[in-house]
Amino acid sequence: MKFKKLISVTLTAAMATGLFAAVPVQADGPEEITWMFWDDLEATEDLVSKGYKEVLDRYNETYDGQYHVTAITTNLEEYDGKLNALVAAGQTPDMFICNPGPNMDVYVNAGVAADLTDILTNQEADWYSSFTDGIFERMTYDGKIMAVPTNFAAALCFYNTEIFDAAGVEVPTTYTELLDACQKIKDAGYTPISCSAGTAWCLSMVAGYLCDRQGVDLAAIADHTANWTDDNCIEAGKKLKELSQYFQETAAGDSNDQATANFYNGEAAILIQGSWAIAQINGNNPDFESKCGVFQFPGIEGANDPNRMIVKTDNLLMSATTEHQDAVIALMKMFTDETAQKYTAEIGGKIPIVKDLEIDYDKAPAQLKYVQDILANATGTFGFYNESLASVEAGDCFDNAMVDIFLDNQTPEEAFQTVQTFYEENVWE
Amino acid sequence: MDKILKDKKAIFIFIAPALIMFILILVIPIFQMVYYSLCDYAALTPPEFIGLANYKKLFFKDATFRIALKNSIFFMLFSAVTQQVIGILLAVFLTNIPKGRNVFKNIYYLPSVLSSAALGLLWAFMFNPKIGINQLLAQFGIKGPLWLMDSKGFIVLPMWVIAFVALWQYVGQNMMLYMAQITGISKDIYEASYVDGASKPAAFRYITLPLIKPMMVTSLSLNCIGSLKFFDLVYNMTQGGPNHRTEVLATELYAEGFNYFKYGYASAISVVLLVMCLIVTLLVKKVIKVETYES
Repeated sequence: MKFKKLISVTLTAAMATGLFAAVPVQADGPEEITWMFWDDLEATEDLVSKGYKEVLDRYNETYDGQYHVTAITTNLEEYDGKLNALVAAGQTPDMFICNPGPNMDVYVNAGVAADLTDILTNQEADWYSSFTDGIFERMTYDGKIMAVPTNFAAALCFYNTEIFDAAGVEVPTTYTELLDACQKIKDAGYTPISCSAGTAWCLSMVAGYLCDRQGVDLAAIADHTANWTDDNCIEAGKKLKELSQYFQETAAGDSNDQATANFYNGEAAILIQGSWAIAQINGNNPDFESKCGVFQFPGIEGANDPNRMIVKTDNLLMSATTEHQDAVIALMKMFTDETAQKYTAEIGGKIPIVKDLEIDYDKAPAQLKYVQDILANATGTFGFYNESLASVEAGDCFDNAMVDIFLDNQTPEEAFQTVQTFYEENVWE
Repeated sequence: MDKILKDKKAIFIFIAPALIMFILILVIPIFQMVYYSLCDYAALTPPEFIGLANYKKLFFKDATFRIALKNSIFFMLFSAVTQQVIGILLAVFLTNIPKGRNVFKNIYYLPSVLSSAALGLLWAFMFNPKIGINQLLAQFGIKGPLWLMDSKGFIVLPMWVIAFVALWQYVGQNMMLYMAQITGISKDIYEASYVDGASKPAAFRYITLPLIKPMMVTSLSLNCIGSLKFFDLVYNMTQGGPNHRTEVLATELYAEGFNYFKYGYASAISVVLLVMCLIVTLLVKKVIKVETYES
């Protein structure tokens, strides 16, 4: 009996010791921070993502023994869900990347993101003054700066010069010319446009351009002085349907990556995409750079200003609950320092967000110069439609309605009525 | 042992760990879920009681939920019929073949032990128009359909594809359950029936089927509940697309909860799912009458 007691006491003590052993003990060492990102930094071929990886390596090397960052990575499609799960579980990464608009609104309104105003304008005034003027506009909420941008991109039409030459078409400047060019390319046996409807925002970006070119005013819709059922919206929907006949056969299910791959593998003549695609195109097929041209989304004759551009920034948010503010700020600064920004432009092909940066255009991808030339003539900018509406859901509702037009599940009138109904029930009420 | 079983304190001590775990990880979350389903709750802000508003929106305004509900019911019915019928037939066939029973048993059962996520990706590649089955069909001059992209019809083609992949994956599991039951039926009963002039189909109809009914209740219940809360193949093959046409209740729940942070609304979907699982289980038990036979 005594022996049994002894065994049970010993086992209980062993279990208790085991439990305590599992409790993490803060060891002396560098301050650990986490950064959540939407690409696999080890496997990616995307040059901008590779640049981010370089920043992390440089950070860990520079601050060896003081700070250390670990990246939490996931693919783009699952990014929001996984980040939200971490936030809900009280494990918000110290820093995370985020799109502007309703996505960022969620984290700002819920108090997940830290207010960076004081840090930027007082503690780190030199750093703040290095940014391009006006770049913080979409990151400012009631006068509070909630994020730091890392780069800037514009949505444009990339085209395969070899296919254009083979089909005998010129760069289109109007919507009618674009349709003519697509028809000629199709007649020559090529797929005119590669677009993803499987990743709805890609199709929605085309729809966004068509809406803007038709004169749709999002501000007027937001305050309900205009409607989604107005003629200009319906007309944009009809043009989307018209243009989609030139998409690749598998557009309904192709993801963004697959649609981009169709283009850089020479299977389609045109890709309507953000300029971040330069890094993806050149990273996956370096030989394609020499035959990749860029033109702005054509204007519609007799309609709105044809020189307005869809633009967006990648943004870094700091967790409001991080205990390693200095380490996070040091990392943010490294993402926006000269080395990282020169990489962004000269290798990644994206537009830097700091002033007075000397870019060696001989080193930079040829497409970057084309993009900057187009941007120099831009008369105005606007955000991606799904990132410019009242909420993430409103953006998804618009995206889905556009996909329904493409899939022939709804007429443009029905699809825009769906968006109108959503606004009546959830936004305007 | 008898002494211990008479001691109420001892019984309580033995049951307590499991009971506490059951209450902590099942009962309390279920009550929490029901409460949250009546709230506007975005996970990061405190829940605000809104009554039945989530349910009203769910049933009367949410078109995606209606698609998810329709697809889940279709998936359940398809799985229940095909997996049960084919599972029984395979079990009967394999218990009656003189050789190779174990080989075939393993072949049919193998897919159900593999990861659904991996299988989902594998089949997504197989049905990819550029690299999969369509390329094979093209060798014979046949233009295959867009298996996972078509969006026409009451039940879209990708949903049928997913249902067939699930059938392929899980039919072996049902077969194993029925084989265990059939193997337990005494050979004497069959022999007696053959002496009385019964044919093999008659023996199946009047001996096998009635005696596997208890397993049918279990298998069908598991099948229906599993189908209703099915997630992995759908998520990995289509992510609910094209444009939500293959959304099922579990993927819709995931999207509302984690993509939109609408925990209250997602909880309402969970409650609907829970109620559906309970109704189906009760129906199965009610419809299939299990007779007890004296040995």
